[in-house]
Amino acid sequence: MPNDTAKTAEFIQPPNLLKAKLGGGDGFALDAAAIKRAEQAMVTLKQEFSDWIAQDIAHLASAFARFVAGRSMETAEALFRAAHDLKGQATTFEYPLVARVAASLSKLMDELPARDEAPLPLVAAHVDAIHVIHRDKIKDISNLTALTLVEELEARTRKALARTSRPKRKS
Amino acid sequence: MSGLRFDRLKVLVVDDNQHMRKLVATILQAFGVIQIFECADGEHAWKTLSEANPDVIMLDWQMTGMTGLDFVKRVRTSPKSPNPFVPIIMLTGHTHVDHVRLARDAGANEFLAKPVSVKAIMSRLIAVIEYPRPFVRTADYFGPCRRRRTGDDYHGPERRSTAQETAIDDIPGEKA
Repeated sequence: MPNDTAKTAEFIQPPNLLKAKLGGGDGFALDAAAIKRAEQAMVTLKQEFSDWIAQDIAHLASAFARFVAGRSMETAEALFRAAHDLKGQATTFEYPLVARVAASLSKLMDELPARDEAPLPLVAAHVDAIHVIHRDKIKDISNLTALTLVEELEARTRKALARTSRPKRKS
Repeated sequence: MSGLRFDRLKVLVVDDNQHMRKLVATILQAFGVIQIFECADGEHAWKTLSEANPDVIMLDWQMTGMTGLDFVKRVRTSPKSPNPFVPIIMLTGHTHVDHVRLARDAGANEFLAKPVSVKAIMSRLIAVIEYPRPFVRTADYFGPCRRRRTGDDYHGPERRSTAQETAIDDIPGEKA
């Protein structure tokens, strides 16, 4: 395999002005006192998490309603972003199973050839599951009923993606 | 204790989700950061980059309009960029290795998968402050060096175009 010697690469080492500005520093050692303060701040912030997740789920519901009313790349993109936000945040907001369902919905929409091709019944099932888990305040990841629901949705997402990927691979 | 004066640090937090912005800002404040600038989209972030000259950017990937990835590329390569060298920590719900590669190839310094934790945010901040990666400019890339490991165990053909670049592999820091 020939080397691409025609390409040139310039190596730049800017002075570390940030380190000079902040002073101190002890390699990769973490500031234990700052971490403790931040963890305490998170405990205080937890009082707001139930409102935040409710707002994020309402946002998902509204994006889903727009998607149902008029399926387009724009409405699909908005729905994907709402699901993606929940995937990243719901665990922090103490709803890990909501995060898992949202991850499955994100995967479904992200891995299809086009996001607006997501099968409506399966998208609806994900949105409904998120509502139910939140309504019943299921925060325990080992809740058997919720877990069965989540696993079923994940399996159906895998199946839907497998169906769409097979013809693509042949072409 | 790191001993870093976080009270001197200016951070720009860019995320279209207000809850995530508040969460990250709360953690940064607890670290001692006083100057935190929040933006909900890439265009405002671009303007704030010029006006506030932040030391570090914490950036979401999925945003309305300009994506986080587009923003990184603009910061690194636009002739109008106020600071092409500013450290950028990508904060995202994407967890697949392909996304890490995309963020790295756009010019992000660090990648932080959601859900975020206090320790993860601190460790990424310390990484960009204490061990900033050298920058590399090639025909199709400008940004932090994308290699982290030493190449002692590699016996294949030289993949970089200059031997000088191989020297930067040996950067102290987290192993990918």
